[in-house]
Amino acid sequence: MPRRSRRPRTTLLLLVLASVTIITLDARGGFHRITSGVKSVAADVFSPVRRGIDDVVEPVGSFLAGSVHYGAVRQQNQKLQAEIDQLRSQQASEQDNAQALQQLSALFNLPFVGNLQTLPAEVTNYGTSNFAATIDISVGRGQGAELGMPVVGAGGLVGQIVQSNHSTSTVRLITDGQSVVGVRYGPSPGSLAVLTGQGAGQPLDASLVPSNTPLTGGEIFTTSGLQGAIYPSGIPVAQVVRSANGVTASQESVTLEPLADLTHLRYVSVLLWGPPS
Amino acid sequence: MTTPDLGRLGVVVLAFVTVQQTLMLDLRIGGVHPDIMILLPVVAGIVGGPARGALMGFWAGLVADLFLPTPFGLSALVGCIVGFCVGTATLALDRSALWLPPLAALAGSALYVVLYAVVGSVIGQPQMIHVDLPRIVLVVSVANAVLALPALRMVTWALPAASTEGVPTSPATLGAHR
Repeated sequence: MPRRSRRPRTTLLLLVLASVTIITLDARGGFHRITSGVKSVAADVFSPVRRGIDDVVEPVGSFLAGSVHYGAVRQQNQKLQAEIDQLRSQQASEQDNAQALQQLSALFNLPFVGNLQTLPAEVTNYGTSNFAATIDISVGRGQGAELGMPVVGAGGLVGQIVQSNHSTSTVRLITDGQSVVGVRYGPSPGSLAVLTGQGAGQPLDASLVPSNTPLTGGEIFTTSGLQGAIYPSGIPVAQVVRSANGVTASQESVTLEPLADLTHLRYVSVLLWGPPS
Repeated sequence: MTTPDLGRLGVVVLAFVTVQQTLMLDLRIGGVHPDIMILLPVVAGIVGGPARGALMGFWAGLVADLFLPTPFGLSALVGCIVGFCVGTATLALDRSALWLPPLAALAGSALYVVLYAVVGSVIGQPQMIHVDLPRIVLVVSVANAVLALPALRMVTWALPAASTEGVPTSPATLGAHR
């Protein structure tokens, strides 16, 4: 029987070692800046390609959808059905526009922003990974959106910029498992707690809430803005959905839902704010 | 491997990443988008054997990592393991069989997604194991099984002739080895 070559196993071992080295280096300061820079260049190069292909594909998709629809219409009452479709399409388009207008109007009237400067942005993509709750937005370093800046939407906090490219940025949503938000709740001056994400579409989990704290459904948690915090103070984050005695005797188990509708985001505002050094 | 070979491989990887970053991200089934970058190590493993599958997984993974918010190098690590596994598992099989690429893509993609979540959670991303893993496995594996044959054609065009890497794949070559 012929002997199996050792070369593939050696190759695999070297590649695994190389990968582990890259992951380890990326987790530390210096090399992460390099990979972040390379990622930024790749995103900037692909951004026009993505837009161009979307511009080509969207009309083709609409044409195909229209063709399929036309076939079904023909079997019934062609003219009448077409008119109904047209009206429906018009209504859907108007509803869509109204929804967009509503989100945009809400963005220009965010009471919690105060004197902070904002940068409006369009949501261009809902996450490039199935394993992280992120969105891509249409502004980047070129427009003033820098790494770490908070992002808000109608209702409250959306997340934080974790990758800033020249003309686009990636925002980690507050529902992402890596997201941690320091919050305040209750009567002034308020008690402190920490909200952590549980994944896209999942509610938030609060920790450091003492046992038997009287919390009512709908009570709003806002950012604490403590020294060194990554968000300014007073931004509404989430409201209480459920509160019960926790698994530990000293902590309440609190479930909250984000105030911003993170599943239907179309427009957001970047707060041109950085933590005070 | 010659310079033209590397050029062709570059074109194939670029084509895959372009399709992934444009069409696939907009195609969501139950909130999950297909991931065709996984197909590269899988079909490279079938076409070129374990070593080339692992190499393709590593380099295609690094390219994929440029566009992902997850740790840089994670796709490369999982990709090279999956490429090696698929290459090893298909060594003794008839690689010209039409059923092989879809089946390998189905199993390879499932392995990739599960490994990706497990390794990600081990290296400090615990949320990666708390996603709806069965749904992601299902969508990604089935989509890749459907796209396996066209992907195989592209990678076959790019990679030099299949290598058996020391293991015979048919009775004829078995005789030659003896």
